[in-house]
Amino acid sequence: MIVAGVDVGSTQTKAVVMDDHQRILGQALLDTGARLTEVATTAFHRALEAGGCAEGDVAYVVGTGYGRFRVEFGHAQVTEISCHARGAVHLFPKTCSVLDVGGQDTKAIRVGEAGQVLDFCMNDKCSAGTGRFLGAASHALELPLGDLGPLALTARTPVTMTTTCTVFAESEILGWLARGRKTEDVLLGVHIAIAARTLSLLRRVGIEPEITFTGGVARNVAMVKLLEDLTGFPVNVSPASHYCGAIGAALHALDRARAGAAAAAGASRA
Amino acid sequence: MTTVTQAPNADRPAGTADLRGAIRREGRRLMDLWWQEMGAADAAGRPTAYVFVMGSLNEVLRCFDLTINFPEITALQTAVRGQSLTYLQAAEDDGYSPDICGYVKTDVGLHLRGRAHPHGTIPKPGLVVATNMCNTYIKWAEIWEQRYRCPVFVLDLPAWRGSGPGGAGGGIGEHDRRYVEAQLRDLIALCERVTGTRFDVDRLRETLAEANRMAAHYHDVLVLNQRRPAPFSALREGIVFQGIANLYRGSPEGTAFFDAARAEIEARTRRGEGALPHEQFRLLLSGTTCYASFKRFAELFEEWGAVFVHSTYLVFAGGGFGPGFGYDLARPIESLAEQLLASAWHGFSIPMFYAQDWLAETARAWAVDGICFHGVKSCRTTSTGLPDVREWLRTQHDIPGLFIQSDLVDPRLWSDAQLKNRVDAFLESLAARQLSARGGTP
Amino acid sequence: MTIDQELAGIFDDSRALVEDPSYPAVRRWREANPGGQVLGHFQVYFPEEIAHAAGMLPVKIIGGGSAVQIRKADARIAAFVCSILRSSLELALSGRLDFLSLYVVPTICDASRNACGVWVRNVPALPCQVLYFPQNAGSAHAVRYLAEEYRRVADMIGEMMGRPVTDDHVRRSIAVFNENRRLLRALYRVKRDTPWLLTAVEAYVVTCAAGLMPREEHNRVLRRVLELLPQRSAKRQDKIRVVFEGGFCEQPPIDMLAVIQDACYIVDDDLLIGLRWLTDDVSPEGDPFTTLAAAYLRGARYSAVQRDPGKPASEMLLQRLREARADAAIVAAAKMCEPGLEEQVRHIRALDEAGIPHLVLEFEEKMTVFEQIRMEIETFAESLLFDFA
Repeated sequence: MIVAGVDVGSTQTKAVVMDDHQRILGQALLDTGARLTEVATTAFHRALEAGGCAEGDVAYVVGTGYGRFRVEFGHAQVTEISCHARGAVHLFPKTCSVLDVGGQDTKAIRVGEAGQVLDFCMNDKCSAGTGRFLGAASHALELPLGDLGPLALTARTPVTMTTTCTVFAESEILGWLARGRKTEDVLLGVHIAIAARTLSLLRRVGIEPEITFTGGVARNVAMVKLLEDLTGFPVNVSPASHYCGAIGAALHALDRARAGAAAAAGASRA
Repeated sequence: MTTVTQAPNADRPAGTADLRGAIRREGRRLMDLWWQEMGAADAAGRPTAYVFVMGSLNEVLRCFDLTINFPEITALQTAVRGQSLTYLQAAEDDGYSPDICGYVKTDVGLHLRGRAHPHGTIPKPGLVVATNMCNTYIKWAEIWEQRYRCPVFVLDLPAWRGSGPGGAGGGIGEHDRRYVEAQLRDLIALCERVTGTRFDVDRLRETLAEANRMAAHYHDVLVLNQRRPAPFSALREGIVFQGIANLYRGSPEGTAFFDAARAEIEARTRRGEGALPHEQFRLLLSGTTCYASFKRFAELFEEWGAVFVHSTYLVFAGGGFGPGFGYDLARPIESLAEQLLASAWHGFSIPMFYAQDWLAETARAWAVDGICFHGVKSCRTTSTGLPDVREWLRTQHDIPGLFIQSDLVDPRLWSDAQLKNRVDAFLESLAARQLSARGGTP
Repeated sequence: MTIDQELAGIFDDSRALVEDPSYPAVRRWREANPGGQVLGHFQVYFPEEIAHAAGMLPVKIIGGGSAVQIRKADARIAAFVCSILRSSLELALSGRLDFLSLYVVPTICDASRNACGVWVRNVPALPCQVLYFPQNAGSAHAVRYLAEEYRRVADMIGEMMGRPVTDDHVRRSIAVFNENRRLLRALYRVKRDTPWLLTAVEAYVVTCAAGLMPREEHNRVLRRVLELLPQRSAKRQDKIRVVFEGGFCEQPPIDMLAVIQDACYIVDDDLLIGLRWLTDDVSPEGDPFTTLAAAYLRGARYSAVQRDPGKPASEMLLQRLREARADAAIVAAAKMCEPGLEEQVRHIRALDEAGIPHLVLEFEEKMTVFEQIRMEIETFAESLLFDFA
């Protein structure tokens, strides 16, 4: 049996095709853009191609992410919270806490052994604890996003960022630079501010090791180090963490496909 | 606690048809009647008292035949009608910050626009009565005071005191009781001056007696939701109950309404009729609702078969009836003072600031699956401590909680996609919990 | 040591005390008084004499400004709430207030009314009491009620200390605090009449220190400062005279006051008004709880969180502006401060009607960057100076 998960996020869309041994056969990643149904379909097809599978082989598709209701070819929609929880436990089976810091939102999830959601918390309206804050820094400092983490790690005396608003982050950053503070010190200050806000979310659900860190911001080495320093626990990061939501969606698809098969078998026995 | 197991919808037995829809019909009629009274008072230039839901003092004011306006209710009604934004913007243009209470701004907007409300014209205030149960009430009263030069009476109600050395925080003191009673006598004297009507203590006994009767019926109505399926939504029908409990407190209409409501809901339980066709989850609401997206708020949960069976809102905004509420008609003013203090303590401040024990007990008695903590930007009173109470219930009682935020009346603060995401995720986790409790894999 | 050096030393010490979230003066007092107990109080006002009479050290606990990183408090409190409430809670949750035996929070606003519940749940070892100041302040019964409310707190303190708080003790404490208030009034007269003799920051930190150290010690500091100030060499500058209104609870950062003082003389303000709430000596005659309660209600300042029909706030602000011979007002409010933001509207209206120039600002205690505020204040000051030219 083959299943698929399609995660239509606000910035990127990911698709994963999986077999019934939970092996990933193919995956695809695209920028979401404005046409959600199209991009979901394209991502799904590319993942199928990568896995050498045909659409007809797929027993069940789960859509997740903000655009989950636009995955029109999907059989069900599951929130990305539930999917990230499953995906994180799949990647790191001893996961008890998940921190997902994306481009525009952040989720803290406490998970059970089977990847079920025990509790969760998301950032309130503002994006100060999200990747967008780093985006503002990247823009203000005219540095590529990928350089921010390594540069921040070289700082010795971080500034204290106090703005809670991404809109004002740029002017606060420029204010510090105008006072002669070094770029890396300002950058580390930005990272610390994000880490503090995301940790505050994680505290609301309870910090329990092992902690798995997913989402685009998980690729930032400074964020990983800060989270480890602040929690006192090692933090799991995987190169596949981009796909965490889509993997979880595929796993949910597998559950439902099996339940459907069992029900059909039961019905046919009756 | 008796439970009624879910029964398929049966044919309606003859003779009970007249009970259906009584709440809806009567509720609407009484709301319209209230607006008509306000319109009549405005036209005749009769003094109207502006009051608030936490400490409306209707029992006293009714003795003077005062028309009573509830600005919190007129404000929320603009939002339910989808018209609050105009008033909010008018107030903000007039200099009021985006960060203050939306009820205040909506009301300021109403007054800036000649008190013209979608339901009718609101009369000018002849008198304002505010308690200290919400500090914003007092600042709000001062806005009318400046605009209309009307008398403002602030009733101090000392309430929950916190914790003392050794844990006990103390209870209601003699000095509290004496102070409240003295203030009530001052309020009565003020009402006499404003209306030119002499105070008649027998009329007070009548209003107190009606309030006693209404409170008993109100309690009976609330407890009916312990049944399964819950016969009413604490959200959808709850706000009708809150509205009538406030507007008609101390009047025969209020008593009659809740008597009929109780009968109608009992009839539903006999038929096995629930608020939802298929009740999957039973929830508590801690905090207020969002009037700007009232139906949508309910739908987000109802789509999952989740019904709100009770709320702290029904307590603190429904009249603050604490356990053992009841006026002693032999000592009307003294008893009024005592019950106001008891309400201040148990009916208002504890449900807002120290609700964790009530929530845990109610969750048990009402067989609840989880609690939705709804914070609103407008109301720091009810919202500030919610995340902490949620945390307490999670860690001490293993009761799942969802924390979401929007506003009372400001449609700009309702983020549908964000809220749906959170509600869906919460209910997914409750579903998994239910499944594993039944022995299935989540 | 020259006069200027000695004064600089006092102000530097005061500032260090104010900016240190570890309450060093309190710790010193505890070391010198083994077994001594400390009572903490929030904003705006607390009758510290009652605690002092019991031998306790009363300390104003009002958050941590930018010195305290919020790590735990954010998980406990909803958004849209002022910073001072969060940072005060953070102090408790991070164990920085382990020296407190009792914390008292008045019901000044809707956010503060939640504080006690959060404290009781999270810091169970520290009793937290709510104090109900009358909002029906004009009532003939308010003084008696408040006196009894004070007695209730005194009884609780007496129980904690193992000995009752007597009337005589309270009277002796009243004398100490009368002296402190007299000295603070004298300091404010210097600010008003000869503002070039001390900066806004200096006046602020030495005032703020009152709530962080034993009052007797603070009296000595103030007496010395008042003695030295007239002899200070300072040049009178061309700055506009302003009254700062809006500092009654959450405090603006000291560096923000520094930005203001570059362009203005702050000749009067409501910063830490709770420490200067009573405007005259409290009489030593009669029942001290009654005289204290009467002084709170009848012989005191106004604020956005104390309703009193006998004290129309905007009129009193105008009067304050007149008495201080101020050119303008800075009408400030802490972010998310409901009473402050609402008060701003009425003040602005009154100032407009009276034709008094004013600058409207919002601030947060933990701000560290002031470029925008600096620009607004300088522009405002320039526009007034240009008018005068």
